[in-house]
Amino acid sequence: MRQFAGTDVSGLTRFAKQTHPLYAGIIGLIAIELTVVAMLVVSYSYLMLTAPEWPPAGLAPAPLLWPSVNLGLLLTSMVTMRWAGNRITAGDRRGLILGLLASVSLHALVLVFRALEMAAYEFRWDDHAYGSLMWTISGFHFTHVASAIVGTLVVAILAVKGYFTPERQLGVVVDTLYWNFVSAAWIPFYLALYWGPRLI
Amino acid sequence: MEERREAPTRERRSEEHQEPLHPAIEDDAEETRRLTETWAAPTGFVGWFMPVNQRIIGRRFIVTAFVYFVLAGLLGIAMRLQLAAPENDLLAPEIYNQFFTVHGTAMMFLFAIPVLEGFALFVVPMMIGTRDMAFPRLNAFGYYVYLIGSGVFFLMLLVGMAPKAGWFNYVPLSGKLYEPGLGVDIWTTMITFIEVSALTAAVELIVTILKLRAPGMTLNRMPVFVWASLVMAFMIVFAMPAIIVASSLLILDRLVGTGFFVPEMGGDPLLWQHLFWFFGHPEVYIILVPALGMVSTIITTFCQRALFGYTAIVMSIVATGFVSFGLWVHHMFATGLPHLGMSFFMAASALIAIPNGIQVFCWIATMWGSRMRLATPMLYVLGFFWVFVMGGLTGVMVASIPFDLQVHDTYFLVAHFHYVLIGGSVMPVIGALYYWYPQMTGRMMSETAGKISFGLVFVGFNVTFFPMHQLGLEGMPRRVYTYLEETGWGELNLVATIGSVVLAAGFATTMVNALASLRWGETARRNPWGAETLEWATESPPPPYNQRHIPVVKSREPVWDWREEDERPVVVGLRSDRREVVVTSMLDAEPQAVQVLPGPTIWPFLSALAATVGFIGILFHPVFFVVSFFLAFFSFVGWFWPRRPWQED
Repeated sequence: MRQFAGTDVSGLTRFAKQTHPLYAGIIGLIAIELTVVAMLVVSYSYLMLTAPEWPPAGLAPAPLLWPSVNLGLLLTSMVTMRWAGNRITAGDRRGLILGLLASVSLHALVLVFRALEMAAYEFRWDDHAYGSLMWTISGFHFTHVASAIVGTLVVAILAVKGYFTPERQLGVVVDTLYWNFVSAAWIPFYLALYWGPRLI
Repeated sequence: MEERREAPTRERRSEEHQEPLHPAIEDDAEETRRLTETWAAPTGFVGWFMPVNQRIIGRRFIVTAFVYFVLAGLLGIAMRLQLAAPENDLLAPEIYNQFFTVHGTAMMFLFAIPVLEGFALFVVPMMIGTRDMAFPRLNAFGYYVYLIGSGVFFLMLLVGMAPKAGWFNYVPLSGKLYEPGLGVDIWTTMITFIEVSALTAAVELIVTILKLRAPGMTLNRMPVFVWASLVMAFMIVFAMPAIIVASSLLILDRLVGTGFFVPEMGGDPLLWQHLFWFFGHPEVYIILVPALGMVSTIITTFCQRALFGYTAIVMSIVATGFVSFGLWVHHMFATGLPHLGMSFFMAASALIAIPNGIQVFCWIATMWGSRMRLATPMLYVLGFFWVFVMGGLTGVMVASIPFDLQVHDTYFLVAHFHYVLIGGSVMPVIGALYYWYPQMTGRMMSETAGKISFGLVFVGFNVTFFPMHQLGLEGMPRRVYTYLEETGWGELNLVATIGSVVLAAGFATTMVNALASLRWGETARRNPWGAETLEWATESPPPPYNQRHIPVVKSREPVWDWREEDERPVVVGLRSDRREVVVTSMLDAEPQAVQVLPGPTIWPFLSALAATVGFIGILFHPVFFVVSFFLAFFSFVGWFWPRRPWQED
């Protein structure tokens, strides 16, 4: 059978960003994790709405101050990550490293506040279903923030080694994508765990 | 409204021949050799843990899944032998409970999902004309996770510690109080583990299908099997997290004393049922939908004509995917939920018959008046029609609440779901095995043995499961290890047992055929069935790079176009010294970029081991969660770390 050139791809970029399959793959990962988030929120709401009292008798709804501060820190870290990405697009490697480290510091601060807050809970996970949910969902989010931190630290090390250029920055782009998910995932948990009991 | 094939006619093409725009491309032997070298998989013992090529991983999934099919099938035979006569004492009640739990779990999680994923991983990249999956290393990771998880799960049976709470593992029966010991712990962790493997395959299939299609293969020209795989993958993405959450909550209940499913602590056992069936119902469509895609593929090839109602079939597949998420409560009709909600789910359950009915009518229209070639794959498809439609009819019956309450937890249900699962999924899969075997091995399976196998399977299946409808209506409950003689159920049970032996002989014939044909099978010609899709546009078996050139596609049946025109357009400009594939746009498949794929590596295997340490370790001490977190982290860094020289163009 005769073959002829239907299309020539030698000139196409090998450094795709948003069109790269990995970008779509990370969105797939986020879709999976968002479903997990939804399932946890649904489980929490299901048990909250079928319970006679929520939280159980003798407990006040968890205090709002620190979770709200954390929300602010997490949302700010999305801005610093965005800034880091813009810096490397402009070819500014120092700016990239600075932005990554600033974001990591914000998340690290969240871990500290969360750890202090969880240590101050007046209940354990094996006291009642409310305690089980508070601890499990907090642990879930804590683990995700921790993995976003270690992942971004690796990106920062690569940045220091000069791996990223305005062209070759897929690593930063997909890390930012996942970072934004981890930061924004706190919003539904915050609403469910801290505002849910106050509003029903 | 039959869709006309949009291929230009030979006359119009010959006009274009006049144009000097299309100089012919000759294949350079040196270039081909370099391509082979670039895409070759490592060999040797260590090499076994390294390949990332899509066909190798897909084949491993299929082979491993069939091993579990045989093992779980043997458990089924053992149960049938126990039930052949009243008050039989072949299996102790304890063992019987373990057997039905492992039989169900293995057939669903260890066989059905992996085998269909395996076929999708094996066929889809070739069908869309590319050279590998979008994330080859993740693909390998998914296989090792599946292999380890399923192996650990099945080993529990050998040491007599298998779970015995049924494949849907209801609390409180599966709680620590009624199921002490490791059985259910292993069930929950290994199921989560295996679902991780399903999820990786799903994301990969979605991205590969949406981004790596051959130029010109718009969504509207995608083969139906690819559509079905895409819908399956989306369903996995939104269904599997529910079972992961459910089993994680259960393992927490069992290990650290949380109270999600414990009423005294404010938990609720019904939460388990909701979470489980929110996954569990889409699950049965996850294994049905790609099988329907196989049916469409086989019918097109063996009738040698374009599928009737392509659009209607694709829409039906998509609709099935959506509606399947609105059905889960029909597994819970007997739990006393509010009536209004139940009515909704009853209507939705009846509704799902519509898209499936549309597909059946489209297939009938395709076959109508065609000169059908009755080879083994087609025979299995015809068998599928009979069995699946029967299962669909009983499905509409049990969707109705008053009827469901009568037959709930009886053998009528057992008959129903074996009709839809074996009819809807296993028979097309066996047909697909015969169909794609040449692309896996380069040989054909024996047709004579195939026909004998089909005869035995079809007769054996109906003799086994048809009497169970009657047994269920007579009130025989499922999951009992024996029954009294006065019930009068003995004869029908004996008939079912005889049928099951015939059925097993039929499946065994196919398994032996597959093994024997490896050695003695007839060597496959190029495109032996005369199919129209791209996986046949290359040798059997294909070279490591799948196709010498990535083709450019202009219709739904590219191979038939080329047969008529005797020429084909291809992609040029991909390098042969590294693994390059074309990235195209999601809807119109216009070339956008070139993706450089990674080569073979051991890291995915190490990552799978790291995850195993965590999943098994937490059963013994919580610290393994942290240990595994860091082990997995280091293995992922090794996996993704860019190797020097950094890619410069």
